[in-house]
Amino acid sequence: MSQESAFNPFATAQAEFDRIADLIGLDAGARQMLRSTQREYHFNIPVRMDDGSVQVFQGYRIQHNDARGPCKGGVRFHPQETVNTVRALAMWMTWKCAVADLPLGGGKGGVICDPHNLSPREQESLCRGWVRQASSNVGPVRDIPAPDMMTNAQHMLWMLDEYETIAGGRYPGAFTGKPVGMGGSLGRTEATGYGVVYTLREALKELEIKPRDTTASVQGFGNVAQYAIELYHRLGGKVVCVSCWDQNDEVSYSYVKPEGVDLEELRSITDHFGGIDKSRAKDLGYKVLPGEVWLSQEVDILIPAAIENQITSESVKLIHDKVKVLAEGANGPTAPEADPYLEEKGIFVIPDFLANAGGVTCSYFEQVQSNMNYFWELGEVLSKLDVKMTAAFYAVFDLSKKRDVSMRDAAYMLAIDRVAMGCRDRGWI
Amino acid sequence: MDVKRNEPLPVFSRGTWDSGEVVSRIGGGEIGGKAKGLVLMADVLLAKVSPEEFPEFRITIPRMVVLPTGMFDSFMDFNGLWDLALSDASDARVAQAFQKATLPPEYLGDLRDFISQVEAPLAVRSSSLLEDALDHPFAGVYSTKMIPNNQPDVDTRFHYLVEAIRFVYASTYFKTAKNYFEGSGLDHTGEKMALIVQEVVGNRHEDRFYPRLSGVARTFNYYPSGGAKPTDGVVNLALGLGRQIVDGELSWGYSPPFPAAPPPFNDVGDRMRNTQTTFWAVNMGTPPPPDPMGETEFLLNPDLTRGEGDGVLDHLVSTYDYQSDRLRLGMGSKGPRVLDFGPLLVGETLPFNDLMRKILPLAERTAGCPVELEFAVDCDESGQHRLCLLQMRAMVIPEGESRVSPLELKAPGVILASEHGLGHGMKNDICDIVFIKPEDFQLSKTRSIALEVEKINATLQAAKRPYLLIGFGRWGSADPWLGVPVDWGQISGARVIVESSFRELNPDPSQGSHFFHNLISFGIFYLTVRGRGSSRIDWDWLNEQATVQETGFLKHVGLTRPLMVRMDGLAGLGVITAGNES
Repeated sequence: MSQESAFNPFATAQAEFDRIADLIGLDAGARQMLRSTQREYHFNIPVRMDDGSVQVFQGYRIQHNDARGPCKGGVRFHPQETVNTVRALAMWMTWKCAVADLPLGGGKGGVICDPHNLSPREQESLCRGWVRQASSNVGPVRDIPAPDMMTNAQHMLWMLDEYETIAGGRYPGAFTGKPVGMGGSLGRTEATGYGVVYTLREALKELEIKPRDTTASVQGFGNVAQYAIELYHRLGGKVVCVSCWDQNDEVSYSYVKPEGVDLEELRSITDHFGGIDKSRAKDLGYKVLPGEVWLSQEVDILIPAAIENQITSESVKLIHDKVKVLAEGANGPTAPEADPYLEEKGIFVIPDFLANAGGVTCSYFEQVQSNMNYFWELGEVLSKLDVKMTAAFYAVFDLSKKRDVSMRDAAYMLAIDRVAMGCRDRGWI
Repeated sequence: MDVKRNEPLPVFSRGTWDSGEVVSRIGGGEIGGKAKGLVLMADVLLAKVSPEEFPEFRITIPRMVVLPTGMFDSFMDFNGLWDLALSDASDARVAQAFQKATLPPEYLGDLRDFISQVEAPLAVRSSSLLEDALDHPFAGVYSTKMIPNNQPDVDTRFHYLVEAIRFVYASTYFKTAKNYFEGSGLDHTGEKMALIVQEVVGNRHEDRFYPRLSGVARTFNYYPSGGAKPTDGVVNLALGLGRQIVDGELSWGYSPPFPAAPPPFNDVGDRMRNTQTTFWAVNMGTPPPPDPMGETEFLLNPDLTRGEGDGVLDHLVSTYDYQSDRLRLGMGSKGPRVLDFGPLLVGETLPFNDLMRKILPLAERTAGCPVELEFAVDCDESGQHRLCLLQMRAMVIPEGESRVSPLELKAPGVILASEHGLGHGMKNDICDIVFIKPEDFQLSKTRSIALEVEKINATLQAAKRPYLLIGFGRWGSADPWLGVPVDWGQISGARVIVESSFRELNPDPSQGSHFFHNLISFGIFYLTVRGRGSSRIDWDWLNEQATVQETGFLKHVGLTRPLMVRMDGLAGLGVITAGNES
């Protein structure tokens, strides 16, 4: 495990929890239960490296709460991984599953490693080693891992294969994020981005704004951003700015086209990390401007769909007065200090763990399909996703109106209340 | 159709199916001809028929959601189906590709919410953009799919709804539709499909769901019989789903001013043979083997005895009385039931025909043109009859080139003129003429003539060559001394049929029900030439044409250029001229 940094994400998550617990008047037992993790597994994973040496990696699986169902959450490979980050993210998964009303709890796993420095064989050994350590505590009825930072479908297949070897059978529902045809679900690729726009669509309805009368600026051009733009375009909206990281220059740029970006055109000049070819974009008539410009565009909608902490108490001041909705496609794009400014500007915020819950919702669908070993058509997946996301949006929206609180607070209140209810119903507290 | 309603339909609102709008839409775009007609009816027509005037009936339209053309465009683009759709691929290939396709994501949530609220049988109907822009009604060109929608879980209902939508979309590019467009000279690529997803009217009887009565009423009748005029209109009735009528199966037709007029049957036996004996219903029972590419996947076709067991025939049947060899209204005695709608139309057990006579002129005035109304009648839970208007389409009356003036009958170059014709429109694809040689015709030989016609008909039909058939007396007469006693199969390839008088033989035109029914179903022009007035046949011209085949009584001549056949259904005038050089 790496050095614990001064910043403790879990302490921040607990502080946020405490604030919401006060708002909903949560009893002491529930507070104690929910502000800490339910189970934690810390283990060593020995891997024989390609050069013949053995390296031991630190791995985790942390289950924050499983009152509402088996835990669900990703497995991260990251050199700066900390146990408190994993704890915070596990807690966050509990709230996200609860706000989407999925019958799942929250979990998260990780390995302190840098996959860039590991060969495919070494990564496979690491995956299999992680499963050998965690197998008795994960699985389709206990805890279902998924890809996360620097892990992908291939990692999940290695993990699944190891799990099935140990369990002595085929359990495709033990992991999600698998490739289509190998237990994966259609629609998973689109799910997060589409989910963002499903909630955005409903927000616009409530604001009595027609999508076709709106423009948007998007930060990021990865999977989430691309599918969010795709569906937003299908609803008639116009994206005028996309910003993304440039791997060569190691800075981000904003690509602006006032008449509206052409998604297919941009996709055709984008690498698989979501980086847009700057010179070709210029040739296609895009203005290439500094990365932060995406935030100051004169648009109706902002969709941060890249990384965390992009809208701070400083950068929030760049937001144009015309902006009416902020749909948080990324995890934690808005620093807590920026929220009051957004409220002051009258911007309707769709909080991250509601807006981007489409991903985990589709992971849930994948698990259900895998458990049945019967897979749905794309239309069935997406229709269910739409209904789920729309219902989640209105549950939060109605509560925010009823309690006169922000959408973010309402989402937390709803989620925490649901999990606390689950604990109570089970007689735990 | 001159639809005055310009404002868009209300948007479908989730969770409000029972309490919300009767007609709403999911998505944007055009709503198509049928949907426009229904909206028009909902807005205007129903307001003009007061409940006090017809307390026996509650007039309504079924609850429905319209999927405008925007969804169709999106579906085609999303799945990249245009190339295949516009290719020469078989219906099966097209249907299969459409069934593999995905409905666009922006509509799926609303559709799922819709189906989660509805647990009654649904009809997914076409409502295409060009349906009200063409000179022909589109009946039967595109498919309608009915689904029982009674499965307990939403997933299954959603699955079948999506299959039905994809099937009707695919039917836009089936051969029938492509041929239809080719024949009409219009550009098929401009066609777009909106859909109506409509609750099926009716009640459940064991595994069958159907309305007691379905009907198609037209305010203009291109095939008037007896003393009726074209503008008197015509109503066709059937037990069960309207598919029976729309697909041209046996139904009961009558003219609203003459509901009790004796039908054109030769005798009671003829009537019993030529009235409906089976009916269509939605299968609410054991699911059939999957057939997502079949229009009748969820339909049953039981016989009349099932209907009697279901207790739905009271107003619809007469009963054959062996002793008197007559039909008696109703079901008062035992015996074979005959679906002649006698109690309703002759006994007036319900003021159904009065209602028709009220609605049809109103509908025509509302639409600003002759219209075709499809409706269904059933009883609601309280026993009150409910007349549901299902579709309204514009009819096209003869105009422009279809109109024929009396002077044209006498014009030079006319090879056949008739002052008593049925049908309407133009035909310019006939290059074959089969006629009875006047010099060889003998009334005593009509049975032999029938056999000769049968052989030539078979040859031409196999070659897919429509032809003009000219004969003396009644075609299809049961009495061989009144004309040639063919049955329909012996002349089924003819697309223009001419009955000419011959010396003392001058009978009324053929009006046998089944014969007549086929004329209507196939849009055949039927011309009578009585040898007086302007009616005439240029026998010399016919004999000058190249002979393809000559038999004892018949001559088959072939033309290098197709005939121009014009039939003015409004005036009953028909004229045939030789094709010009161009």
